[in-house]
Amino acid sequence: MTLLLPVLAGVLFAGGTYLVLTRALARILVGLALLAHGANLLLLSAGGRAGAPAFIGEAGAPETAADPLPQALALTAIVITFAVTAFLAALAARAHHLTGSDAVEDDVEDRRVARSTPEGTS
Amino acid sequence: MIPSLALSFFAAAALLAGFGRRLRRTAVWLALAPSVAAAATLLAHAPRVLDGEPVRESISWVPSLGVSLEFSLDGAALAMGLVVSLVGAAILAYTVWYQRDPIPLLGRLNLFAGAMFGLTVSDNLFGLFVFWELTTIVSYSLIAYDDRSPDARKAGVHALFVTALGGLVMLVGFVVLGTEAGTYRISEIAAAPPSGPAVTAALALVLAGVLTKSAQVPFHGWLPAAMAAPTPASAFLHAATMVKAGVFLAIRLAPVAMGNDVWQGVLLTAGIATMAVGGWAALRERDLKRILAYGTVAQLGLLTVLAASEATVAASVALLLAHAGFKAALFMVVGSIDKATGTRDIRELGGLRRTLPGTWVVAVAAAASMAGIPLTLGFVAKEAALDALLAASPAIAAAVAAGAVLTVAYTTRILGVFWGPERTAPSSSPAPGMTAAAALLAAAGVAFGIAPGPVEALSGSAARAAGAAAVALPAWPGPKPALWLSLGSLAAGWLAALLPIGPRRGTAAASAAFDATVDGVLGFARRATAVLQNGSLPVYLAVILATVVAVPGAALVTAAASPAGLVPAESWLQAAVGAAAAAAAVGLLALRNRLGAILLLGVVGYGMAGLFALQGAPDLALTQVLVETVTLVVFALVLGRLPERFDRPARPAVGAPIRVALALAVGVFVTGAMLSAAAGRADAPVSEAYLERSLDEGYGRNVVNVILTDFRALDTFGEIAVVATAAIGVAGLAAGIRGRSER
Amino acid sequence: MSAPSLPIRRRSTALLVPPILVVAAYLLFAGHNRPGGGFVGGLVAGLALALAHASDGPGAVRRITRVAPTTLLGAGLVIAGIAGAGGWLGGGFLDGGAVELTLPVFGTVKAASATLFDTGVFAVVAGMVGLVLESLSGEETPS
Repeated sequence: MTLLLPVLAGVLFAGGTYLVLTRALARILVGLALLAHGANLLLLSAGGRAGAPAFIGEAGAPETAADPLPQALALTAIVITFAVTAFLAALAARAHHLTGSDAVEDDVEDRRVARSTPEGTS
Repeated sequence: MIPSLALSFFAAAALLAGFGRRLRRTAVWLALAPSVAAAATLLAHAPRVLDGEPVRESISWVPSLGVSLEFSLDGAALAMGLVVSLVGAAILAYTVWYQRDPIPLLGRLNLFAGAMFGLTVSDNLFGLFVFWELTTIVSYSLIAYDDRSPDARKAGVHALFVTALGGLVMLVGFVVLGTEAGTYRISEIAAAPPSGPAVTAALALVLAGVLTKSAQVPFHGWLPAAMAAPTPASAFLHAATMVKAGVFLAIRLAPVAMGNDVWQGVLLTAGIATMAVGGWAALRERDLKRILAYGTVAQLGLLTVLAASEATVAASVALLLAHAGFKAALFMVVGSIDKATGTRDIRELGGLRRTLPGTWVVAVAAAASMAGIPLTLGFVAKEAALDALLAASPAIAAAVAAGAVLTVAYTTRILGVFWGPERTAPSSSPAPGMTAAAALLAAAGVAFGIAPGPVEALSGSAARAAGAAAVALPAWPGPKPALWLSLGSLAAGWLAALLPIGPRRGTAAASAAFDATVDGVLGFARRATAVLQNGSLPVYLAVILATVVAVPGAALVTAAASPAGLVPAESWLQAAVGAAAAAAAVGLLALRNRLGAILLLGVVGYGMAGLFALQGAPDLALTQVLVETVTLVVFALVLGRLPERFDRPARPAVGAPIRVALALAVGVFVTGAMLSAAAGRADAPVSEAYLERSLDEGYGRNVVNVILTDFRALDTFGEIAVVATAAIGVAGLAAGIRGRSER
Repeated sequence: MSAPSLPIRRRSTALLVPPILVVAAYLLFAGHNRPGGGFVGGLVAGLALALAHASDGPGAVRRITRVAPTTLLGAGLVIAGIAGAGGWLGGGFLDGGAVELTLPVFGTVKAASATLFDTGVFAVVAGMVGLVLESLSGEETPS
């Protein structure tokens, strides 16, 4: 296998992690996209070295064919990532519409529980 | 036949719940029918069972796993089953007159009877456990029957907590026991009992179930609290049947457990302690029902002691039968008094002998059996127990006799309400049916005390099934040491009743301990929640990611490996595309301009497409290009709704240094994990089979597409469902924005 | 996007969209043997919708699909489900099968159940893109 793909996946994961830990939904969105790209690369590199496209000719599949299974997995992952990205984009737009910012705020109820003393019940 | 009896109880309960009110009087007969049918069936089978031929049945449930529901009607099951059906029938009849609106209660009592009957005849550890927990749950709903009373709800939860927790621990014990024995069928385990340290551990776990269900010290607190239940439920569950389940299980497991020191030691210790605690607490109570409840606790202690030793198993079954009769009758008596006078406080009651004569006669007969007066079943059973104990262990015999002193004392206290000056006058007299139902049980106690033959046969059969010897149950034992001990405790008990033992102040220690435990658990949960769930999503995410890096990462450090045949890159072109994607990704971190960010993200995406194409994945590259393009359009649409620059929140949830450190750690971890995983490959990829079978079985030459639409089509089906769901989610979110802006 | 009725842009999309849709259909049906398939074909069709939407503005998507995008989503799932259920005739759920048909114009055609399944995928993906476009640009989506 190549060193390039796992290293690039690592870079994408690092960037994605950095971004999803912020508060702005739009940046989290970008971070998730990077994480998804990284995950697809991981799938692909699990298939080993590059090869010919996995098509079966008249004489059967070429000996050098790339592993088709990770490709199938990554293909659906790409489409689902698009659906999730669109969902998050809509979420960010809605959050901005409702609160005037797209920041991920702390959960009010959780903060209240955290502040309450052990004896202080609801 | 046997399982259908249990089912008939459930069917009756379902019918009563569904149509009970419309059926009116028919509902009463419907409620009684399963008990009568069960009793008749059991009596029909009795001759064979008493001859030592248990009736066994098996229903295949999950044949592929070898799981089946097994039922067995042996001596012990026959004894317990007769209690459930006969005492149950009397209590159900009593309920008809006792309860203002009896139909719902009759339904739940039938539900309970079905569960208890199933528990009784189960020959499989898991089947027994299921019915065991079912009785726990129905018990909860019966204790909290008056669901508007906070006390009743609390008492229900108390019982549920203690018994369900014990049941769960017991389940673990069952699993270990079944694994050790190689079978979960109780009769097979009994036929070839396993032994060893694992069995001892299993039995110790099973003890948790036995002790909690049978309300043994220190778990006994739930039983007095359960007196919040309607009186018929108390009579049925908390006197006659359910609380006996622990003792019953001890008898069932006797062939495995009897020789085990841990088992016997715990049962004897807990039983003697329970006798003392229950008897003493009964003397300090002033509420008739609670006196009976603590009396039941004490009697359960005695039963536990008797079930612990081989010599006394037969006596324990006899006493179990006797107790079911007299304690249920006494509960009914208390219910009648409560209904007639409106109080259960012995300080407010007196002289009922004249105003409630029928109830009085029943009470005296039942109490005589409880106290162990000659010519009652209680006397016969206790006599046999003392006789066997005196031969085996005089110390335990002395403890049992001391317990009997307490029993006689609180029995005298109870009967005191019928004598002396009249205090609270009854406003009505109990319905004849109520008195008759109680009278039946009390009369049975006297009848079998005079002619104990059937009980002797039944207890002997149960003891033999448990691998112990039958004992003779003579109506009059003759002048033996046991008789002097019995008569002595009668006299001492009568004197002890005169002692001025004051009422309890405050709540009982066991109840307070339970409250403290619950409060402690809730307090801990609240503190833990405050720390762990502080409301910040980025913090949660950081904790999760840190765990990923720390735990599997630590394993990775020790097992890092490099795969064979590693090359830096496939080609210069691949290296260039990869470097561009990486540079764009890093650039994204710094950029705060939204349009710029979207364009850079596009660079990463098209870079991916290039890498896919170079890797030999044209479908993937095509998909990536298309998705990237459509994504750009979507972003352009959303962008109009967002400010041009990323908002910079005043307070980041996770500080920048932590973010950078975590990001680097995750990146390194991912790369390392991928390389190590590749190095760990041991088998040929499954795709080789896909490549071979694609054309013949999938009828296609594009293997990736054949995988998606044929080999792994179910996955694809799920994925398009996810896609559809996400799209509908987008529409929903966007509709919310529109709706608001229009207003 | 404020001027939805510029005539030139309109004409260009009217010229472009049909050929793109033909390409999408080709990718769908060729996908079992050559690059393409339901996902790719659906995305290409989605791209045609995006193009029409970007140039013609609101209503463009509906003019092409004729039905609500949600209908497309549901129909896609149903088609894929039917294709899978057809497998019961042979082995089990989603077991593929194929028949060779001889048609007047196309000659010998292999109709694999997988193609029907892929058609469902196509409809779901195209419907998803259409729905996202419509809802994010603030169009009503009457069902």
